[in-house]
Amino acid sequence: MLTGTALHKQFASAERPALDGVDIEVRAGTITTVLGSNGCGKSTLLGALALLDPIDSGSITMDGAPYRASVRGLPDPSPWPTVTIVFQRLFLWPHLTVRQNVNLPWAASARDANERFSEMVSRFDLGGLEDRYPNEISIGQQQRVALARAVALKPKYLLLDEATSALDVKHVTSLLGLLKELRSEGVGILLVTHMIGFAREAADHVVFMADGRIVEQGGADILAAPDTPELSRFLAVLEPSVAVPRSVVDGEMAS
Amino acid sequence: MEETLGILWSYRREFLDGLRVTLQLCLLVWPIGLVAGTLMGIAGARWRPTVGRLTSGASFVLTGVPTLVFLFWLHYPLQAMLKVVIDPFYTAVTALGILNMLQVSDTVRRALLDFPRQFVKAAHASGLTAVQTVIRIQLPILFRQTLPSLLVTQIAMLQATLFASLISVDEIFRIAQRINSEVYKPVQIYSALALLFVVVCVPMHGLAAVLREKYTRDYSER
Repeated sequence: MLTGTALHKQFASAERPALDGVDIEVRAGTITTVLGSNGCGKSTLLGALALLDPIDSGSITMDGAPYRASVRGLPDPSPWPTVTIVFQRLFLWPHLTVRQNVNLPWAASARDANERFSEMVSRFDLGGLEDRYPNEISIGQQQRVALARAVALKPKYLLLDEATSALDVKHVTSLLGLLKELRSEGVGILLVTHMIGFAREAADHVVFMADGRIVEQGGADILAAPDTPELSRFLAVLEPSVAVPRSVVDGEMAS
Repeated sequence: MEETLGILWSYRREFLDGLRVTLQLCLLVWPIGLVAGTLMGIAGARWRPTVGRLTSGASFVLTGVPTLVFLFWLHYPLQAMLKVVIDPFYTAVTALGILNMLQVSDTVRRALLDFPRQFVKAAHASGLTAVQTVIRIQLPILFRQTLPSLLVTQIAMLQATLFASLISVDEIFRIAQRINSEVYKPVQIYSALALLFVVVCVPMHGLAAVLREKYTRDYSER
């Protein structure tokens, strides 16, 4: 289990903390979805859990082992790629082709390199793009390459920041199937998304964040019947057709 | 053209001597600038408040001083103040070496400071070690980013070696002037000189342009 406890992070230029005492668990073989408005701390949370961005206080453990990302030096022993992340802005290495981007981290040491790469090409619909550079393919294709790069690492915990933002319906559906497949293989997935339908369909656990705190969490059913006015308002804006109790919204607005 | 080539041929020994001195200048100025400048650039990025400020400040001041003025200042007033006499060749090497070093240092420091850290984070998250990250990700990207600029700087240094003629260094321009004073064929002699520089500099410029085109990728979304 990947666990963050009492995570706190304050950026110097910000008035309020990006993370304000966040407790979160990512269990193996489950999909946890993080929802929230822009700037609520979702990406900061993923960076912290991936041990790439330092936190001010709190603790992170992976399968019981404590970690602390620091400004200087790398965590020892390395938590990567047991935990890995797909960034919102992807960060494919621009000097490497699609094939090299996917293969670089592991191909030299893997006996099944060709098979694994072929599997990624097939899973992520990358046929014909293998020898192109990231700037030569569309943003949706880049997103699939970034996903392939992460999945090819066979992580135990996979953190995805807006992994569906540039995908078309066909590839969102395909990613949904893939995430369920990875879940059944025991991978713990933490997914930041704005696609409520995707969260509802994929998530075992939903976390809603606002102002650097977890305001509400529970099963996917909280998306149909939220307890807090913050989540109700958020859902009403994103998906007006969702059955949000008006009394909650009205009551909150009145107060 | 025929006459130009004829003069080149007739004075080939003198031209070659001048070219040899020009190349000697370059062979000292280029490595001094590239090696010391790269180290200084790395130090400037690593210790930004101290070394970084010092080198960028020096670079800022010296870019405001014409190369010729800097060269003359090193050759005349400084040596007079210090009561020393230094071979003009080494004065030219010092002046151009310092300028090259500061420009290279600026290029390297900026490239390091502007380097997108997220490429490194992506490498770490993918399980690459610190050494693999430097060798496979950082250096190739930095090399591609800086190479065209460094090449253009070295071409500028080659061209700046002409100023050394004004402090009596027998490089190619001074040789051309001397030949012209003998035969008075300025059109042919300076055309021959231009031809020599075209032969050397244009391919280097072309290479810089090709590298820039090849390595400066368009990151815009499609």
